[in-house]
Amino acid sequence: MDTISVKNLVKTFPAKKGRITAVDNISFNVKKGEFFGLLGVNGAGKSTTTNILSGLMTADSGQVNIFGKDFTKHEEEIKSRSNVATAYYGFNYRLTIMQNLKIYARLYNVKNEKEKINELAEKFAIKRLLNTQMRALSSGETTRAVLTKSLLNDPELLFLDECTVGLDPDMAEVTRDVLKNYNKENQCTVLFTSHYMQEVEDLCHRIAFMNQGKIVRIGTSVELLKELEKQRVTLHFSRNKDKAKKILLRAGIEFTESQGQLDFYIENRKRVIYPILENLIQNKVIFDNIHLEKPTLEDYFIRESRRK
Amino acid sequence: MKWHRVKAMLLNNYYITTNSADRLFDILYWPMLDILIWGFMTYFISGISEVNILSFVLGGLLLWVFIWRSSQDFVIYVLENFWSRNIYHLYATPLRDSEMIVSLGIFGVVRSFIAFLVMNIISFALYKFNILSFNLLHAVAFISILLIFAWAIGLIITSFVFRFGTRMQVLAWSVIWIIQPFSCIFYPLSALPAWAAKIAIVLPTTHVFEGLRASLAGYPLSAGSLLYALGFSIAFLIFASWVIVKAIKTARSKGSFAKPE
Repeated sequence: MDTISVKNLVKTFPAKKGRITAVDNISFNVKKGEFFGLLGVNGAGKSTTTNILSGLMTADSGQVNIFGKDFTKHEEEIKSRSNVATAYYGFNYRLTIMQNLKIYARLYNVKNEKEKINELAEKFAIKRLLNTQMRALSSGETTRAVLTKSLLNDPELLFLDECTVGLDPDMAEVTRDVLKNYNKENQCTVLFTSHYMQEVEDLCHRIAFMNQGKIVRIGTSVELLKELEKQRVTLHFSRNKDKAKKILLRAGIEFTESQGQLDFYIENRKRVIYPILENLIQNKVIFDNIHLEKPTLEDYFIRESRRK
Repeated sequence: MKWHRVKAMLLNNYYITTNSADRLFDILYWPMLDILIWGFMTYFISGISEVNILSFVLGGLLLWVFIWRSSQDFVIYVLENFWSRNIYHLYATPLRDSEMIVSLGIFGVVRSFIAFLVMNIISFALYKFNILSFNLLHAVAFISILLIFAWAIGLIITSFVFRFGTRMQVLAWSVIWIIQPFSCIFYPLSALPAWAAKIAIVLPTTHVFEGLRASLAGYPLSAGSLLYALGFSIAFLIFASWVIVKAIKTARSKGSFAKPE
């Protein structure tokens, strides 16, 4: 069953002249237990989409069903079974983490709130900070407090909007592990936005790429990367570089040259490199090393976001 | 409406109060200053006047605290959640608008009563004036009307904050003082110039404070006048509730909770 089903969702905002379309008639489904990524440049519409689905904003038109229920009619129930986290907004800065978490535990009607808070605080390594006022925390610590809140009610659906921004690499790794395990163990559906492509590639089962309010592609990272046409090849030479240049030119391959190496692009298909290497070897060109750089999600992101 | 969520919001407001000196100051500091300044001044005037002006002024001040605190607290505790951007997380929970509003109303009443009791103790200690020693039933009627009117004002100002953002916060501190001169707190309605009296007669607060003076002087209350004040306050509260529902709807459409200023 789909946890999220979105049909023809539209959201516009008033502008100086007319209206700006932030979300332009998008439709997609997210399955139960799926870690689903929303990617796109700033202003692509991913946060607006997340905000509509989490009930923070209303859409102009379109249909949102969550847990098989119409969001507008079952908002209270849907919100009590889901939760949100973002690195951009903390809690009341005068209160301690514990005080803030107690309030949210009661809003979500969490039983054994103290045990639950302590257990999650341990996971996100903020137990020693529980009695510290929010205003005394670093941005990373604030984010961890927010992430702790996001799991208080054992959500079946989690909206994570750039929730690892500001975390140091170690804590980002810990956070990813906690989220990955939570998703796996509880079959929790996650809608995830991030600008860290490696993170998206690691965590997300499927990715939707948004551009100018539209979803332009949906697929697994492998499926998306297949669409990239080129992979980068770097050949390292201690001698014979000039000979190699001539052979590449003859074969019609454009390259760039830097000290001791030649870089060029070939099609992103298996075995395309073979005839090139054969040609070099037959002409007795000896290279020290070869490096094939597979396209990454980052390459995909750059290509798609530059597309008009 | 779920009571556990109302209690959660009451806890939120309680923690905000106990963690911030300015929210504690709101309850005691300004009302205490008022009691001292106005009390001393009227103490002096009462020495040269035959009218029992001390009880009129102190009685007015003590009841005014209900409308002042209850209306202002409504907005300030909403603003606290905007300032800290906690509103983002609050509106992602199943919290209903009605639950938030009820918690604000209850909390404002509690803070008003604390301020009222402290002021009453001070006024008794300094001037031997105790408003509760007069007609308790009258006091209950006056306080009830003032609270309903205060909630309505609080809701209207809060609606402005939801609708137009925190730049409207100045209203939280200013609107109530526009109403004060026309409410006849320290002087009778007959003391106002004709144009001001036309405004004053419409306000339920005027009828309450006229009633207070009658009660303190031992005269019977005008039932018609108090019923008008109660009816007006209830009608205004219903209107204010409609306004805030509209304002929250607009705020959600604009994305004010998703991107708090």
